[in-house]
Amino acid sequence: MHLKYESTLREPLVDGEKNYHQVTEDIISPIEGKPGKLWYVGFFISVALLLWGVFSVTWEVYYGTGVWNLNKTIGWGWDITNFVWWVGIGHAGTLISAILLLFRQGWRTGVNRAAEAMTIFAVMCAGQFPIFHMGRVWMAFFVLPYPNTRGPLWVNFNSPLLWDVFAISTYFTVSLLFWYSGLLPDFATVRDRAKTKLRKLLYGVASFGWTGSAKHWQRHEALSLVLAGLSTPLVLSVHTIVSFDFATSVIPGWHTTIFPPYFVAGAIFSGFAMVQTLLIIVRKVLSLEDYITMGHMEAMNKVIVLTGSVVGCAYLTELFMAWYAAVPYEFATFYKYRAAGPLGWSYWIMMTCNVITPQVFWFRKMRRNIVVTFVMSIIVNIGMWFERFVIICTSLYRDYLPSSWSYYRPSWPEVGFYMGTFGLFFTCFFLFAKYFPVIAVAEIKFVLKTTGESFKRDNMEKLEPLSDEQFAHDHAHHHDDHGHAGHAVAHAAHN
Amino acid sequence: MEQKKYWKGLEELHNTKEHQEIVNNEFREDLPFEESESLLNATTPRRDFLKYLGFTTAAATIAASCEIPVKKAIPYVNKPEEITPGVPNYYASTYAVDGEFVPLVVKTREGRPIKVDGNELSSITGTSSTARVQGSVLSLYDAARLRFPTIAGAEATWSELDKQVGAALAGLGGAPIVLLTSTIISPSTKKVIAGFQAKYPSFRHVTYDAVSYSGMLLANEASYGKRALPAYHFENAKVVVSLNADFLGTWLNPVEYSKQYGATRKIDEKKPEMSKHFHFESMMSVTGANADERYTHKPSQTGDIALALLNAVGGSVSAPAISDKRLADGIQKAAKALLANNGKSIVVAGSNDVNVQIIVNAINSQIGANGTTIDWNSTVNYRQGIDSEMEQLVKDLNAGAVGGLFIYGVNPSYDYYNAQAFTEGLKKTKLTVSFNSHKDETSENVKFAAPAHHYLESWGDAEGRTGYFSFIQPTIAPLFKTRAFEATLLAWSGNTTAWEDFLKNEWIAKLGSQEAWDKALQDGVIEPATAPALGGASFAGNVAEAAAKIGSIKKSGKDALELVLYEKVAIGNGKEANNPWLQEMPDPITRATWDNYAVISNKLAKTFGSELGDDYEINNDKTVLKIKANGKEVLLPLLILPGIHPEVIAIAVGYGRNANAGKAAAGVGKNVYNFVSFNGTTRDFYSPEVAVEKTNQTYEIGVTQTHNSYEGRPIIKETTLEEFIKNPEEVNEDRKELDQFGYDPKNPHDTTSNFVKNGTLYPDVHQYQGIKWGMSIDLNTCFGCGACTIACQAENNVSVVGKEQVIKAHEMHWLRIDRYFGGTDVDNPEVVFQPMLCQHCDNAPCENVCPVAATNHSSEGINQMAYNRCIGTRYCANNCPYKVRRFNWRDWNGADSFANNLYDVGGMNDDLTRMVLNPDVVVRSRGVMEKCSFCVQKLQDAKLTAKKAGRPLKDGEARTACQLACSADAIVFGNVNDKESRIYKVRNEEQKSRMYYVLEQLHVLPSINYLAKIRNKDAEKAEGKKEEHAAHHEA
Repeated sequence: MHLKYESTLREPLVDGEKNYHQVTEDIISPIEGKPGKLWYVGFFISVALLLWGVFSVTWEVYYGTGVWNLNKTIGWGWDITNFVWWVGIGHAGTLISAILLLFRQGWRTGVNRAAEAMTIFAVMCAGQFPIFHMGRVWMAFFVLPYPNTRGPLWVNFNSPLLWDVFAISTYFTVSLLFWYSGLLPDFATVRDRAKTKLRKLLYGVASFGWTGSAKHWQRHEALSLVLAGLSTPLVLSVHTIVSFDFATSVIPGWHTTIFPPYFVAGAIFSGFAMVQTLLIIVRKVLSLEDYITMGHMEAMNKVIVLTGSVVGCAYLTELFMAWYAAVPYEFATFYKYRAAGPLGWSYWIMMTCNVITPQVFWFRKMRRNIVVTFVMSIIVNIGMWFERFVIICTSLYRDYLPSSWSYYRPSWPEVGFYMGTFGLFFTCFFLFAKYFPVIAVAEIKFVLKTTGESFKRDNMEKLEPLSDEQFAHDHAHHHDDHGHAGHAVAHAAHN
Repeated sequence: MEQKKYWKGLEELHNTKEHQEIVNNEFREDLPFEESESLLNATTPRRDFLKYLGFTTAAATIAASCEIPVKKAIPYVNKPEEITPGVPNYYASTYAVDGEFVPLVVKTREGRPIKVDGNELSSITGTSSTARVQGSVLSLYDAARLRFPTIAGAEATWSELDKQVGAALAGLGGAPIVLLTSTIISPSTKKVIAGFQAKYPSFRHVTYDAVSYSGMLLANEASYGKRALPAYHFENAKVVVSLNADFLGTWLNPVEYSKQYGATRKIDEKKPEMSKHFHFESMMSVTGANADERYTHKPSQTGDIALALLNAVGGSVSAPAISDKRLADGIQKAAKALLANNGKSIVVAGSNDVNVQIIVNAINSQIGANGTTIDWNSTVNYRQGIDSEMEQLVKDLNAGAVGGLFIYGVNPSYDYYNAQAFTEGLKKTKLTVSFNSHKDETSENVKFAAPAHHYLESWGDAEGRTGYFSFIQPTIAPLFKTRAFEATLLAWSGNTTAWEDFLKNEWIAKLGSQEAWDKALQDGVIEPATAPALGGASFAGNVAEAAAKIGSIKKSGKDALELVLYEKVAIGNGKEANNPWLQEMPDPITRATWDNYAVISNKLAKTFGSELGDDYEINNDKTVLKIKANGKEVLLPLLILPGIHPEVIAIAVGYGRNANAGKAAAGVGKNVYNFVSFNGTTRDFYSPEVAVEKTNQTYEIGVTQTHNSYEGRPIIKETTLEEFIKNPEEVNEDRKELDQFGYDPKNPHDTTSNFVKNGTLYPDVHQYQGIKWGMSIDLNTCFGCGACTIACQAENNVSVVGKEQVIKAHEMHWLRIDRYFGGTDVDNPEVVFQPMLCQHCDNAPCENVCPVAATNHSSEGINQMAYNRCIGTRYCANNCPYKVRRFNWRDWNGADSFANNLYDVGGMNDDLTRMVLNPDVVVRSRGVMEKCSFCVQKLQDAKLTAKKAGRPLKDGEARTACQLACSADAIVFGNVNDKESRIYKVRNEEQKSRMYYVLEQLHVLPSINYLAKIRNKDAEKAEGKKEEHAAHHEA
């Protein structure tokens, strides 16, 4: 094929002197060795949190939803807040893997594996809340439309909660498939390097007999594209449907048409923040600074400042509409009981964290500062948690009839449930970091020879002084050394 | 053409022998049905595998679905003729507790009473009742009732008890025997008492009312020569002036008065008029909340106000100085109205001071009330206790001057102001017998406990008003080894007649025949054929003397605090405190449950560091105050109430019962009866001297409504009578905005109208071809008493959740009464009550959000719940703009399949107490949503009755529990498709101007409409009304 020219001005995506083998070594060897002390500490804490969550949920299921502090006025609180928050976090993974794949954004290769894993774990966490917020969770299967002996009694297709069931389950399935199909060549690499029988067996099973043949690669690429195509609408649709839970209701503060784009932007916003949080730790702990570079961080920070501003516009639009619509109930909700009132503090936390602080990312220096990025990623996620809390609770606690106005503070099982999902998330993530290649080895190799630091230096710098004519003459009509990317990668997979 | 032959294979072509065999044998191999003894050893062939798979799957499915343990119902061996399982029986009875008089019809199912309602045949109370009457059916199943007679605390048999008491009576040697009871309105019981007296001449009967009215009785004796209470006729009054008399809530017989008063508050739109009600009080009562003009004062000022009023209506007394200008003006205004309506007005007073009541009698005589609104021909027997008699008894007891004391229906060791002296005297008495149903504070100190039946187990009669009788018949066999008080007394008088025979003989003698007696029992009431003419009485009281005595009543100084005690609508004097329904009923005014507390104004609260506002609203823990009066002190949390006089602290009596009172009552609140004092003639239920200090403690109060203002939202519509007459359409001005959406104000119920059709994608989903249920609630005649709330609870098995859960806002009431304060003056707010229940929206926001279609719409317009389908997402409750959906947060009644997670605070799940459950209504399990069903079980019953009779349903046959209980007829319910129905007429003919729907603009199309409230107050007052509601954030 042709030369894949990339300007030296463009930052390399892989730093250091790497060849295919070195890439494999860097990424696969942590799987083969014993994890460090930090890993054990982290894993232990995660499992402890998970068990605490299991206890909290068991308590709630046994004694009833009444052990939570929800009430006659506020039927959803931390439960659905956490649900929307976790689902939102998942969106970054899908965006990175699907939309950026379609847009051929090379920088995604360094972060997509971990981001997709984060998506899957986040959706798993999210799913717990709608399930266990039910008063009779043992009847949860009622939400599934299947022929039954009760009439047959069908589900209510008018209900946004039902749409949620479909949206979330589809999302989870597609994300899982996408993630797993990407893992196949990497699992095969682990298998081929395996020195113990058990590892060989397990990774052999996991890699589905991947041999790296051209046919495999061709099918793999095709499948990736198809799944990317399927996932792309999901990035938009899942959170749109989640927003319908609120937008289709009659409660002031919920009943607003701006929700779908606002929710999607917010989801991507929080998702990228979470990716940042995780990757900053991962690259440090697993010494993957060469693969997850400052360039990656900066790219994601740009997305954060963009989506943060979109969300900020949405907040202002809501305020404007609450005034312009001249509906007294909506006006009161926004101006008296959301921006002020007993829960007003939550609104201002949201505003500060989501709209004001992310503006630091207009500055390149800030975008490329690890500490700032890490702190901001936490702040954004706090802000986005509060956004959902604000939407849910400040709309419900003072709605139409003042006689029913109420207040809400979480109880220990509610907090425990939330902590438990952190336990679940990080338990999964620690296992992932230990047993799975946290960076897509094959995909890195795909871009290595065009965007790797040493290759750029060796190959591109020579080209830079050439005149246009000379360049065209030398490289336009015959094959270059780099060959077909697919070949290169196919070959690389066995290094 | 030759038929060509095709073949499938060479075998067929050659038609071999093997082939023929195969063709003849459809099943070529033997089907391996092995059912022999070798089954276990058999190698399982493929078909058996499927068979076994099918069998095990089916068996596992069946086994798994049979998780519910089998509980055997034992059928009747000999079925009683009158009992058909599933069909209720109704018996007439009477609620005659502590002098209240409410003729009833008791609904029994399979031999157990489950619901009471007013007896329609009674002209005094009709189908109405109060919360306490509704709750009385639960008291029958009170697990804390005494289950057998005891001697010195040990179980005894009745014969042993009779023997020992007989011996003790004989051994008294002529020492006086005293029977201490609350007011008895039964003529036959009085005869039994007289029979006892005949046997023991040293016997005397003392009547003691925990909350005393002896001031009135004595004043009437002084004024009219009759120690009696007249029959009041509020229905004849154009002007009502009440001095502290809570006649809609707790005063004498509130059902009767609210029914009468309600009649004067109904608005006929063609000729709008209504009574005008002035109210003077210290604490805010239900009655005060409904007044058109309300003024507050300190309790010690009552006499001055009465005198000033008498002076203003032309009485020959000099008016005392009243420094509060608003109050003084109010008195003048009330007097003016009274004089302008001579003969059409009434003044009542709640004071227990003889002299105040004499002045009130003088006023009534001055304004021509006697004979027009006050009837002296028929007097009422509601209260008979004279305080000095009780005072004397306590002295006698302590002096050892009483040989035997019989106690029936009273609990002075708890509710007497000097309970300690009484108890000490009791202990000194030789023979002490209690007939009380509980081992209460008094009964635990007696030697003999001879528990009487609950009234639903008893025979009896009652004469509420002269000539107006009502009967009591047993609706269930006695649950315990109890015996009617009368039966015991008959036995001890040596009369061998059974009590029921005694009663029957009495009445057959009066009525003439067994048939007449049977009919009387069946009807339940006997009333004069024509209502007797009202009679007057000439006032002969000594006004000057009374005025002088009022002048010497002790008053607090300027800015000093006074204490007033009051009764709550639900708990009353505390006798029925062990009733979880009543404990959990939100107080109509404070909206608090399960406690008593120190009610104070916002102004006073500020001095203790509390004030109305967000902090106060969202935090349930209230500052505890130490309150000292009469040398006693009590610690109680403060509760801020707009509308109480700023220098008054009000505390409810009836709380602080001890552990013997039962699970629900024990330890709830504090007993404040010791703040009552005796002024030499009567007991005073206030104290002019009180010291209050703040403590560092806090205490949580379970309040069901924390926000007091309706924020000017058009969920409540109100205007003044004057403005309404001027422009009847004004109150519903905002509905015209709906015009642009095709709303047709002339025909608001035409379901074809564009307003109904527009705004939904599915205009024809709900067609109501047959019945379409609808309800109308008149805000003008809803007094907020809460009878409907408890009626609904009894009818629909609504769970009790307990105080801790009320604090978490988990209460379950299907019907609540929202109470809002309005107006600009936080000390004198305008009050409005709004019953709020499921609005049964035709375009219900709850229905479309349920993922499993558990809440859906009936063909009759009922928004119904399929509890078994509900998975408890609570989305419906979130999306309900009226917030009337109630979620089963906990396992309130053991209806889920988890062991040991029952949450039962009130003791509602005792096997005994569960007998009160209505078998027609499902008990909801934990985790499901519930709400008002429009009493669908009653509607179905009415429809089936009509169907069996082969005729269409008539209007008024299907009635909801709340509608029946309402004394003022504020609730109209029926089929809006029936043009003859009352609901149709109210909406389309009679009340078109006032009718509105709450949150109509949401296009949820509710099935319940409200009628705007009209206040009969001066126009200039209402000027600021437009901005006032919004302005009043504090409230």
